[in-house]
Amino acid sequence: MMIHLAADAHQKIKTANTSPLTKRSIYLFTAVALVSLLGLADATYLTIEHVTGQSVRCTIIAGCSEVLSSRYAVVAGMPLALVGAAAYFTVFALATLSAFGYRFAPTILNVLVAAMVLVSVWLIYLQAFVIRSFCQYCLFSAAISFVMGILLSVQYALAYRRR
Amino acid sequence: MKRLLPFLIILSVLGVALGSAWYLKRASTQNSSIAQPPSSATATSNDSTKPAAPTLTAPGAEPAHSMGTETARITLEEFGDFECPPCGQFHPILKKMHNEFGDQLRVIFREFPLTTYHPHSVAAASAAEAAGMQGKFWEMHHLLYENQKTWHESFDVRPIFEGYAKEIKIDVEKFKRDINSDFVAKRITEDGKRARSLNVGGTPTVFMNGRELPFPTIMDESALRKALQAELDAAK
Repeated sequence: MMIHLAADAHQKIKTANTSPLTKRSIYLFTAVALVSLLGLADATYLTIEHVTGQSVRCTIIAGCSEVLSSRYAVVAGMPLALVGAAAYFTVFALATLSAFGYRFAPTILNVLVAAMVLVSVWLIYLQAFVIRSFCQYCLFSAAISFVMGILLSVQYALAYRRR
Repeated sequence: MKRLLPFLIILSVLGVALGSAWYLKRASTQNSSIAQPPSSATATSNDSTKPAAPTLTAPGAEPAHSMGTETARITLEEFGDFECPPCGQFHPILKKMHNEFGDQLRVIFREFPLTTYHPHSVAAASAAEAAGMQGKFWEMHHLLYENQKTWHESFDVRPIFEGYAKEIKIDVEKFKRDINSDFVAKRITEDGKRARSLNVGGTPTVFMNGRELPFPTIMDESALRKALQAELDAAK
């Protein structure tokens, strides 16, 4: 639905702020926006678990306590999951604006997602070699970042070929 | 209108995300503060002829490992896993409360090794129980928690636990035999059955006079102190 709305709006809005996009680019930006929602849900859930203290607990169904009770789970006094939730929401906003043809959005989106992919690699390294324990929610978040990275790489490659 | 559309979509998602966060936080807080029914351990433990009804709380291993007098006004029953990091963090808090509240507080420890994620948890529980057979359960309990990071990373924990047995001056040969005994295995199973009957889903889980304390409360020294003081005040 968002794809049709974006394509429709794109044809009608012809201002200095927007640029023409191919249908494929609109699809890719929309896919990034949708995938980022999964990351947003994952990070929101983890943030709440962190705030209420539940994530730190060892439970029968999840083995995240080693990871989520480690010092790496907090950045400057803020839960890392909250930073992640903010990042995923920003990705969603930028991908939506990109799909609607806002010129400034794709550049910031690419930089942000690249940073998220790098952070995800760093977090996987920490889980594997420093904490020596994996958390499925964190791995899911990393997978989401990689998928977004791949989608945007394809989009970038297509845009580069068109030039 | 069309120009506003992406912003409307973004704001809608923000609203849904904030709403979900609020709902999850509320649900999580409510779940953690639900009080458990009082334990029926005393009622069932002495009646070995009648099989326990499935709805009753399992008594757990008898006698339970406890610190403090039976007449204490507050009983804290902890379900713990020696390999669980938050249990290790809770250990000094509980020790401090025990020192502060003295005779007014009794602490019971129940084994609840989460074997799926902690490969040495059963070995550690067995070591504590084997030490308990020589009357040194709490000494081993303290050593296991205080050195959790050391043995947690080891491949073979047996020599480490035997070293602890030497340190607390118990018969190491008997300790080595007892650690694999049916008696020790049965005690761990009995505690596990009690955990299950009380719907314990994780560690550490602490019951204060039969009511489950919220996890954030037990992990916060001042919050736990307040809860204990309030219980004492209510008992007066």
